[in-house]
Amino acid sequence: MSDITNTAPELRKEIHIHNPKNKIKESAAYKTFTACNFILMAIISLVTLFPFLYLIVQSFTSDHAIIAGELSIQSFIDGKLTFEDFSINTYIYVITRNNHEFLRYYGNTILYTIIGTVLSLFFSSILAYPLSKPKLKVNKILSPFIIFTMYFGGGLMANYVLMLKLGLKNSMWGFILPMLISTYYVILMRSFFMSIPKDLEEAGEIDGLNKFGVFWHIARPLSTPIIATMTLFYAVMYWNNWFNAKLYLQDKAKWPVAYFLQTIIRGAGASDPDAQNMSANIKSCAMVLTVLPIICIYPFIQKYYVQGMMLGGVKE
Amino acid sequence: MKTTKLAKVMCVGLAVSMLSSLAACNGTNETSETTTIPSQIETEPTETEENVPYTYGVGKTFRADQPVTYTMFFSDASWYPMVDTWKTEGVFKKIEELTNVTLDIKSYDSGDYMDQITLDIQAGNAAYIIPKIYDDSKFVDGGAIVPISDYVKYMPYYTEFYNKYDLSKDIQTITRSNGKYYKLPGMKESNLINYSFVIRKDIWDKAGVDVVALQKDWTWADFLEALKKVKSYMVAQGMCKESDYIWSDLWCGNESGQGSGGNLLGVMAATYDVNAGWNIGNGMRYNKDQDKFLFSPVSDNYKEFLKTANSFVEAGILDPETFTQDDATATAKYYNGKTAIMSINQGQWANYEQNMTAQLGAGNYENYVITMPIGSTRNSTVSPERLENGVMISKKALDDLGEDGFIQMLRFVDWLFYSHEAYDLTKWGVEGEHYEVVDGQKKLKAGFCCSGLGFGNDEAESMTDIRLKWGYAGGNFWYGGTVAEMSDNLTGAVADYVARDAQDRDVPPLAPGLAPTPDQNEEINLIATPLISNVNAWTLKFVTGQEKIDAKWDEYVKSCEALNYQGLVDIYAQLYK
Repeated sequence: MSDITNTAPELRKEIHIHNPKNKIKESAAYKTFTACNFILMAIISLVTLFPFLYLIVQSFTSDHAIIAGELSIQSFIDGKLTFEDFSINTYIYVITRNNHEFLRYYGNTILYTIIGTVLSLFFSSILAYPLSKPKLKVNKILSPFIIFTMYFGGGLMANYVLMLKLGLKNSMWGFILPMLISTYYVILMRSFFMSIPKDLEEAGEIDGLNKFGVFWHIARPLSTPIIATMTLFYAVMYWNNWFNAKLYLQDKAKWPVAYFLQTIIRGAGASDPDAQNMSANIKSCAMVLTVLPIICIYPFIQKYYVQGMMLGGVKE
Repeated sequence: MKTTKLAKVMCVGLAVSMLSSLAACNGTNETSETTTIPSQIETEPTETEENVPYTYGVGKTFRADQPVTYTMFFSDASWYPMVDTWKTEGVFKKIEELTNVTLDIKSYDSGDYMDQITLDIQAGNAAYIIPKIYDDSKFVDGGAIVPISDYVKYMPYYTEFYNKYDLSKDIQTITRSNGKYYKLPGMKESNLINYSFVIRKDIWDKAGVDVVALQKDWTWADFLEALKKVKSYMVAQGMCKESDYIWSDLWCGNESGQGSGGNLLGVMAATYDVNAGWNIGNGMRYNKDQDKFLFSPVSDNYKEFLKTANSFVEAGILDPETFTQDDATATAKYYNGKTAIMSINQGQWANYEQNMTAQLGAGNYENYVITMPIGSTRNSTVSPERLENGVMISKKALDDLGEDGFIQMLRFVDWLFYSHEAYDLTKWGVEGEHYEVVDGQKKLKAGFCCSGLGFGNDEAESMTDIRLKWGYAGGNFWYGGTVAEMSDNLTGAVADYVARDAQDRDVPPLAPGLAPTPDQNEEINLIATPLISNVNAWTLKFVTGQEKIDAKWDEYVKSCEALNYQGLVDIYAQLYK
């Protein structure tokens, strides 16, 4: 603050504005509102987070404490739930169960996510780029067909028969191909490509690049923000998808982890005593392991999600 | 301008085509008719029986002279998932060794099984043999499934059982309006009770309630008095407070009760000859005295049942949270002694014992399964139909194999699902290898356990579970059979309550078989869906005391009238002339 006299008048003005001491005095009503807001948001956050917190605690709790119904804060206060009930055995069990099947499903998910995301990005961008050129006459015919698929589909049966006839049932491609291109994401990408200045592309053409060269050497490097966002969108989509596995992956060795998780959770609703006995901690442990990568990454990438939605929304 | 005109023309064209499609959907011309099923089936050997290239017949093991492969769908349960050893050394391998038939299994997770096989059947990709079918109605019209009633004459084991135990009236209940049936059901000599209540007999004894003496003729009111005594004792001993409930049940909450009151209201209602809970169906129930179908949720018996159920809540015995809580919460309360009664089925006994030994210590508790109290009838809660889920055969098998090959496959299916030999194999494994018969009672050999048969074990980790390892006692094969077959794995307390129920309670009357047309089925569903939601919502309010039964009964009945329950009654009256 002592150096303020040496700084430029504009900067001084700015510092003056941002000086906390010079802030407009908050009224009592505003302070009360903020406090109430904070408390309300804290309660909502807690309520939202509690089930997941419970899930994590449950996954680290012994069978004995769960069956006895002692997994509660009250039991902890009463001393019925102690640190002796903490156990990582469930994690060991889930990971090693049936010849490490969980790891196999995990590996499948990673494989499908990587291959699917790379292919999706490639095909989505080479579809979105030409669509972003208003002068291209074929777009007038092509665009309605592409948009049409956002609202209407062939239906489950038609898709199923198609995959059967293509021989893609029980194949990794049966899982990936139906998700390869998302029309919505293509439209987002198209809007972004439209915002790239034409002059740059024309300069590239003058320098001798063909259309693909312009896309690859000029449009693509300038599109890092949308590509980063689409990478996240597609990766999360592949990671979480179980429905395609249900339809097309009969062979259990090819299941992704999300589908495995779905089957064991749903098994609990069955009438078989063994299913009901599949311990709550096994289910919660599998859930925690499955969502863990997304949970770890999501806080860091959340801003890209929001940005991604905005990226294609603003046009010059 | 041109474009606008074109758009208008297109819109009109589209509207016309939609209207014409609607007009085309005027339903099938099929009409319902009274169907008759023969009381005895004559077996019909093929003309070349002497020369058929396989062995078959009652008392014989089916065996093809040449190796043959049949495709079969399989409902794979995630809690005992199929593993390779089932095929290399387990149940499928043993079947192959005995019959020369390799089953090419197309397995789907049990939770998706019906969705998946529906897709496959409709896409023309059906397996030949389709087990584990409860409701075959959606497959009947498509023509992808063989009307098996035309072929049962070639199946000696099926025919023998059908004729011996006179199952024609039972089979009538699955017969369609064209007089044919499409699935081979699991058949039973008679039904055995499954669901009842387990109590803490040690506490009941100390409370001065002699359940063994009381239960033969006790009513729900007697049962309530007994529970009050037990609660008084528990309060006096400091085991619970006056404000606590000593009955907090499972299979009734949102999770497994599906908002209907689940098992508890289902079994209680059955003793009043009405439908509720899990068994609500569409509410229609056959009344033998009046010889017609009635909408039971508006009957006087239903009102009585509601009052009975509510009396347990009003008396502070039955926890109203029963109808919303998770099953695990209910079992936890029983295991650690906070409650003194809970629902049970045959398969849960060993599980309860195991968990309570872990919680309370062996010898510190005594479980006992009671005979169900009596409502307005002495009826048992067993289902009157002596049928189980069944097997469908796809038309694809007939097309691919030809008539003779198809009949050969049917005779293999006949052996697999209806012969005593296959029953023992698929349920118990190989005699001498996995189990032995001691004094007429089957017992697993040392080193083996099977939670599917109710022989789980505390030391299960050091034993081999014959279901997990080899696929025996799985749900795809294990159907009805004779009483001796069905009860060959019941021991001790479970066998005791099954026997008591059979002896002290009546089997409810079998409803006549009706065969609605697809249109009638659709109409029934359209009326029943909102109607039953309404019934369930009111029922839970009455039972938990949120609404007073006497004060609101008329309002409730009017709400059902407004949802056209009479429409259901009329359709049923038309079907049952």
